[in-house]
Amino acid sequence: MTFSLLHATDFADRLLYNIIPPLKAGMIVLADRYAYTAFARDAARGVDRRWVRELYSFAVQPDMAVYFRVPIEVSTDRLLARRVKLKFYEAGLDMGWSGNAIESFRIFQGKVLDEYDRLVDEFGLSVVNATGSITEQQRTFRKVVSQHLAIEVLDEQLDEQLG
Amino acid sequence: MNSSTSSLVEPGEGGARAGSYYGNGIPYLPIEGYPGKIIAIEGTDGVGRSTQIRLLREWLEVQGYGVIETGWTRSELMQPTIELAKASNTLNKLTFVLLYATDFADRLEKEIIPALKAGFIVLSDRYIFTAMARAGVRGVDRTWMRNLYGFAIAPHQVFYLKIDEKTLIRRVLQSRGMDYWESGMDMKLGDDIYESFRAYQRSLLKEYASMADEFGFRVLDARRKVEVIQDELRRQIGAFLAESDASASAAVRVE
Repeated sequence: MTFSLLHATDFADRLLYNIIPPLKAGMIVLADRYAYTAFARDAARGVDRRWVRELYSFAVQPDMAVYFRVPIEVSTDRLLARRVKLKFYEAGLDMGWSGNAIESFRIFQGKVLDEYDRLVDEFGLSVVNATGSITEQQRTFRKVVSQHLAIEVLDEQLDEQLG
Repeated sequence: MNSSTSSLVEPGEGGARAGSYYGNGIPYLPIEGYPGKIIAIEGTDGVGRSTQIRLLREWLEVQGYGVIETGWTRSELMQPTIELAKASNTLNKLTFVLLYATDFADRLEKEIIPALKAGFIVLSDRYIFTAMARAGVRGVDRTWMRNLYGFAIAPHQVFYLKIDEKTLIRRVLQSRGMDYWESGMDMKLGDDIYESFRAYQRSLLKEYASMADEFGFRVLDARRKVEVIQDELRRQIGAFLAESDASASAAVRVE
């Protein structure tokens, strides 16, 4: 519960100082993670789903939300390649499912991914397959965003931009 | 809760039974059937809550009850953060409310629930109603607040030490004086701390009054002498504990 509430506090602070003012100024806000992360992570930790959604009802509904989806094996491999040690909470070690950080991470992330799948339907998130190369992902991402913003983007332009 | 204790259920406390969660609660912490009790003492600043709690604790311990005290912003996790945030003037009403809720959640999980499980009496110096009153005067949505605290447990008894504006002002000035937050200076009601304090405390009193029925407050006149209030508290708490001890031992005999 405290984990969930501290993140909500942080979110509320950023919302009021960093998100709402640029929106008022007519700017585009790119948010790296949003309330959906909390919905997935808190539910995976056993917090009541409805309660978390109600908690974040002060949040601005994003105009568009994109979910970069990867299978659990890929995310584990990527994290382990990047870092020797998993962070305590990232691995869900606080839950006591396993004393082994990697094993605990697999269990926890498995639950988090299940929650994300739920969210895709519930909130209509656009899904980008995140197993591909960065260029491939960026290509799909730009297409989805352009569609949303009603910007005309031709494949040739993307080829030129992304090489 | 089994049927033998159902006579203790007090209706009208936020729609929840005493000793159970107001809302969906904390799914990973089931509390059904825990023997402990929560007794909350509510009221604005300067009504003598801490004095009453100190006296109650002594009285209960002499009778052999295990007692723990819990109080607002006393959680180990949050106290330093809240002090810092208050000092830095960067809080807005939403982060203010959420920090308090985090503090409460921490105390609930680490102090209150374990104590209930072990059969302790939890004396709570202020409870969620203080948070609701403060949020209410700042215009935070009432339904949202009630949902937020859906993880809280309905106390077995809530005593509200009621005071009037005039007496309150004199008491606060006589003790430690008016401070920034207690005067609601963040609400920009005016530069005059006295006027701000008065307006702020007046709206707080209104908020408390509006919750009295909803959450089943037992209202006590806080202008009376310490001993008179203490006697009244002991009478009501004593009666409640006697009834609950009797049905607990009846339940043991049936088994």
